[in-house]
Amino acid sequence: MPVSRRQVLAGSAVSAAALASGFPAPAIAQNEPIKIGYLPALTGPSSSTGVGINRGTQLAVELVNKEGGIKGRKIELISRDTQSDPTKAVNAVAELTQRAKASMIWGPLNSGEALAATPLIARDKVPMLHPCWVDSLIDVKKYPMSFRIAPTNTQVGKGANHYVVNVLKLKKVAVISDTTGYGTDSVNTYVPMLKAMGAEVVYTNHIDAANPDLKPELLRMQSAGAQAIMPWSVNAGFLSRICNTRGAMNWDVPIVGQTTLGSGQTKALLEKPEYWNKVYSNNFRNCCYIGGKLPPRAAEFVERLKKDKVEFGDTLLWWVALGWDGAMMMAETFKNAGTKNDDIVAYMNKVKGWPGIYGTVTWTPEQHNGFPDQEVVMCEVNSLKDGAFNIAPGYSS
Amino acid sequence: MTDATSPISTAKAPAGWLGRLEGSWSWIALGLVGLLLPLLDDSYFGVIAQRAYIYWILSAGLNLVVGYAGQIAIGWVAMLTLGAYTTAALAAGRVGGVEWHPYLALIAGGAMGAVFGVIVGLPALRLRTFYFAMTTLGFATIVTQVALAWKDVTGGGVGTPGPVFLWPFEPGWGFYYFCFLLAALATWITANIGSSRYGRALVAIRDAEVAAEASGIAKPKLLILVFLLAGGLGGIAGGLFSSLQSYITPDAFTFEMSVLFFIGILIGGRGSILGPALGTIILTVLPEFAAPLVQWSTFLYAALLLVIVLVIPGGIADLLDYKNRRPLEQHREIVPRPELLSRVLGAKGEPSAIRLANIALHFGGVRAIDGLDLEIRSGEVHGLIGPNGSGKTTTLNVISGYYRPKTGSLKLDGADLPFDKPHARAGYRIARTFQTPRLVGAASVLANVMIGGTVRGDGTFVESMLSLPRHHNDEKQLKVAALKALATVGLESLADVRADRLQHSELRFMEIARALMLRPAFMLLDEPAAGLSAEEIRRLGALIKAISREGTGVLLVEHHADLIFDICDRVTVLNLGKTLAAGTPAEIRSHREVVSAYLGA
Amino acid sequence: MLQSIVSYGLAVGAVYALIGITYNVMFSASRVFSFTAGMLGMLGGVLGALFINKLGMNAVLAFLLVLAAGAVLGVITEILTVRPVLKSIEQHLYVLSTLAFALMIQQVVAIYWGTEAQPFPVLVPIDPNSALSIIDQKIWLPVLACIVTIVGLELLYRRTLIGRAFLAIAEDSYAARALGLPETQLRIASYAIAGMIGVLAGFTGAQMLLAYFGNQAILNFYGFVPVALGGMGSNRGAVVGGLALGLFQQAANFLVGGIFASVAVFAVFIVVLLLRPEGLAGAAAARRV
Repeated sequence: MPVSRRQVLAGSAVSAAALASGFPAPAIAQNEPIKIGYLPALTGPSSSTGVGINRGTQLAVELVNKEGGIKGRKIELISRDTQSDPTKAVNAVAELTQRAKASMIWGPLNSGEALAATPLIARDKVPMLHPCWVDSLIDVKKYPMSFRIAPTNTQVGKGANHYVVNVLKLKKVAVISDTTGYGTDSVNTYVPMLKAMGAEVVYTNHIDAANPDLKPELLRMQSAGAQAIMPWSVNAGFLSRICNTRGAMNWDVPIVGQTTLGSGQTKALLEKPEYWNKVYSNNFRNCCYIGGKLPPRAAEFVERLKKDKVEFGDTLLWWVALGWDGAMMMAETFKNAGTKNDDIVAYMNKVKGWPGIYGTVTWTPEQHNGFPDQEVVMCEVNSLKDGAFNIAPGYSS
Repeated sequence: MTDATSPISTAKAPAGWLGRLEGSWSWIALGLVGLLLPLLDDSYFGVIAQRAYIYWILSAGLNLVVGYAGQIAIGWVAMLTLGAYTTAALAAGRVGGVEWHPYLALIAGGAMGAVFGVIVGLPALRLRTFYFAMTTLGFATIVTQVALAWKDVTGGGVGTPGPVFLWPFEPGWGFYYFCFLLAALATWITANIGSSRYGRALVAIRDAEVAAEASGIAKPKLLILVFLLAGGLGGIAGGLFSSLQSYITPDAFTFEMSVLFFIGILIGGRGSILGPALGTIILTVLPEFAAPLVQWSTFLYAALLLVIVLVIPGGIADLLDYKNRRPLEQHREIVPRPELLSRVLGAKGEPSAIRLANIALHFGGVRAIDGLDLEIRSGEVHGLIGPNGSGKTTTLNVISGYYRPKTGSLKLDGADLPFDKPHARAGYRIARTFQTPRLVGAASVLANVMIGGTVRGDGTFVESMLSLPRHHNDEKQLKVAALKALATVGLESLADVRADRLQHSELRFMEIARALMLRPAFMLLDEPAAGLSAEEIRRLGALIKAISREGTGVLLVEHHADLIFDICDRVTVLNLGKTLAAGTPAEIRSHREVVSAYLGA
Repeated sequence: MLQSIVSYGLAVGAVYALIGITYNVMFSASRVFSFTAGMLGMLGGVLGALFINKLGMNAVLAFLLVLAAGAVLGVITEILTVRPVLKSIEQHLYVLSTLAFALMIQQVVAIYWGTEAQPFPVLVPIDPNSALSIIDQKIWLPVLACIVTIVGLELLYRRTLIGRAFLAIAEDSYAARALGLPETQLRIASYAIAGMIGVLAGFTGAQMLLAYFGNQAILNFYGFVPVALGGMGSNRGAVVGGLALGLFQQAANFLVGGIFASVAVFAVFIVVLLLRPEGLAGAAAARRV
């Protein structure tokens, strides 16, 4: 695309407008691959989730391509490891949307990078699919091309609150977090929700995750009369210390909270295995054992994975399922709507009851959060088997 | 020796290493690339370039702190954080409910950075290097923690959207040019500072702090100005960063980023502007082309830092400095020309005198000086001799304000000279040299000598920063004066050479040239003949004598008895901190105790 | 409640004190503050967990191996990052060289060990029903290590010839060299000792702090605070400063909680340094003309 020097110097209004209007893309040869820009965090801190999701995404893309691709066109996954670093994510967005001309963006996963990447992707008018839970990423007015295939933090908190207040019928709750953005915001969001449900929040605090001694915190919760502890953190060391302290105090209250409560790292840091009893973490109905069996879609998925010899020992079913669903959703969109951004959005706006492994997705033009509330459940963390957990006691099956 | 006849070589303007625009062609090339990059119409390049410009705006200021002044401010990313949050929060109306205009918010971000630059910098005035490094590191951690906690303003962990700048610098190439222009501006003002007397003073603080003080450089005042500037640039960079990122959260401001700024500067080379600019660009761009190595990036940065520190402490700037790799003439001779002194020292002043009365000073239990009386008169050379440990250098340090004696008085023409303020001596036109030459090894001989005249300029820091007329005037006069001083001591042919390439004897004369820059009323020389050949000592003697005949009072601490007796008008002999004898050379020579105890004749 | 503050405060404080002593031992030998102090502390925990949990070694053997690793790292630190820049100590290049080395090691740990905190085994199992069970290993082990270290160092410095040589170097390396003391060898020995003390801190404190790469930064800072408080080079000062810091930090954790505790520690650190740069117990430095 020739641009005269004069045009450039005349003010960037011209070039910015040119970018914004999206010059008609040159006709793409029929066999050229369809590009998905992919922003996983595969290394660096908090990368285990990214690695799990990546496994599912890669598998799905391989499968689609093996079966002939989308109308003869292969899917090309252009992935940029962000290491959860927002600056790397911003660079990668520019590369994927503007250089590689990706048809869709998948990711990023962590809050800081997702918050930075989303407005830029929206500015470039590239449709995107979110695995990230941060609520503000979805806003049909600001980001009309962003869709979420995962629950929001609000839904996740609602699921936990629902379990404590309505299923376990406990009314006095202690809500704590570490000092990270995720933790502090979760507490600040969930406490009013709990109060609205009629629960009494008897204790709340943000605690430095490096603090080796949580006994003072738990003692204060105990003396405040807490009947359940709801910790919001992705720090396994912090969460395990809560379990350990509770166990050492012989304090028999349930711990209900974030999925990391059930991670292998948390388990490894427990002083005694039984300290993991009565600990319930978020999970998703489609990926939990209900009455000892996985729901049919997940069961079939696991069979397929076993056939492909995918290991589960080091990851979780729902991570792999999320990665798989994301890629499959995009593949199906390309198949039905082609690769033009407006067509993609028009198609996704009408997705209804799409049967994913991870969740059943429904979008409307007004609501781009596609995950249903009732599929966010709690599970027993000490029941891990083949990457999945038993649904927590008390739910109707 | 070349060109020994012309008093001052004006044929070629010697370009000092310090802050000269190290070959302006490099800058022109960089500028052209920056201006024309939008022609490629590749927004990905655009984003990377904007990032490089923004990081450089911060690094340009930090370069004065780290590269010039040698203050190891590891946590300077805190200024980026502060600027980013200030700009973003004000523009988003998170403070006081009023949405600031983005440009105003950016200025506020710069102001915030400047204020905290000084606050963080203050400990550097009192603390040792490592302590200072630790405090900046701690501060960077605290700023992030506060950003997390102060949810109303910063948005906490969810963060806050960055400002969107309006016409003419709207997102896209408009913002690109905004960053480009500000980066150019940052380069220009820091290069101006670097090449001014302030820049030389900073380097002197880094490499030869004692000599800097003796030349009248007030470290606190200068460092505060530099921290103000560096903090302000860091804050501006932060404001731009928040716009580039579109959204800021505390996890965007990592310690790795701080290390990156730091390494960019050190790769470039301390005391250079171009080198660090290239270093910053390389470190911003490189990871984009080494994506598979992303996991190892911090490791590689650290390894690079280690290699630079150990192998090429001079960085890129040194590698580019071809001129100083040319061999120097082997058999050089120092031929001072005392006849030029009148032009260096100016008109003779009124006769005056420094008087020490009953000075006593202890180190622990040791009496270094024990009731000393001494008078240094203008126009005379006063010799101070005595065995090792008799208190000669201590006396000199008392006069130049490094030591506060326990008792006694030190007066200049009847008025008390303050103690504990060595940098104030330059104001009294009391200059000195050191037993071990104190020099800025990486700077040219000319620049080293110009350091001696730092207090003689009229232009302010801001005038230098903006390259205003008074700055140019100062520079011109200082250079002329320094060349005169160099010609006087016989080193003008080495003006452009890095000082650390000089021979020991040449450094002794260079220190005298630096002292002459004060047009000193008094000059304290600490063993200037040590390590000189007999012929050089003779020439030195003639030079010192000539200096005194121009009206300067000279105090000469020496071991070479011949030199003392040749040129001194009066001599004081110290022993165990006390005056053993005082008088004319002839009297001393015949003093029985001196002869038996010291001269050993 | 108070018991919790005191016991954890002393335990954490003992770890800080040991890191502070690590700084001091290196400083005394070379006038260099090295960023490797925190790295050693971090490695003590990581290597201990690696040897015992991953490789299934006997705890005593693992402990000895960790000490040996610390000594080796100390020597490498001296040879690689300190000796080459000692000539130009005025330029403080050691800050950068030791920081670079520490960062490199930390990154290797992050990549091969992982960025998640991992557990450290219980070394001395105590029957939970016995009377001894009230004192947890994670509490008494670092305190014991701190006592052993400070007593050992005092004996070494005051009672042995080689210890006096260390002191002579610390007082005046120039004069010590003139006396014919082998300065380089003594410096290497000091770095080896410092390496062992550093990993000892990490090893004994790891049950509390876990085997975690991020401990490096934490220990670098909190281990330096006792040095700043107690005066550089003073091991007794470091112990007092470390314990005081530990107690203050735990009390702040308990009373104000969350991030304000770390802000409070930082504020105290800065204020003390600005008011008394030589530390609460230290003497002012001599002039350098």
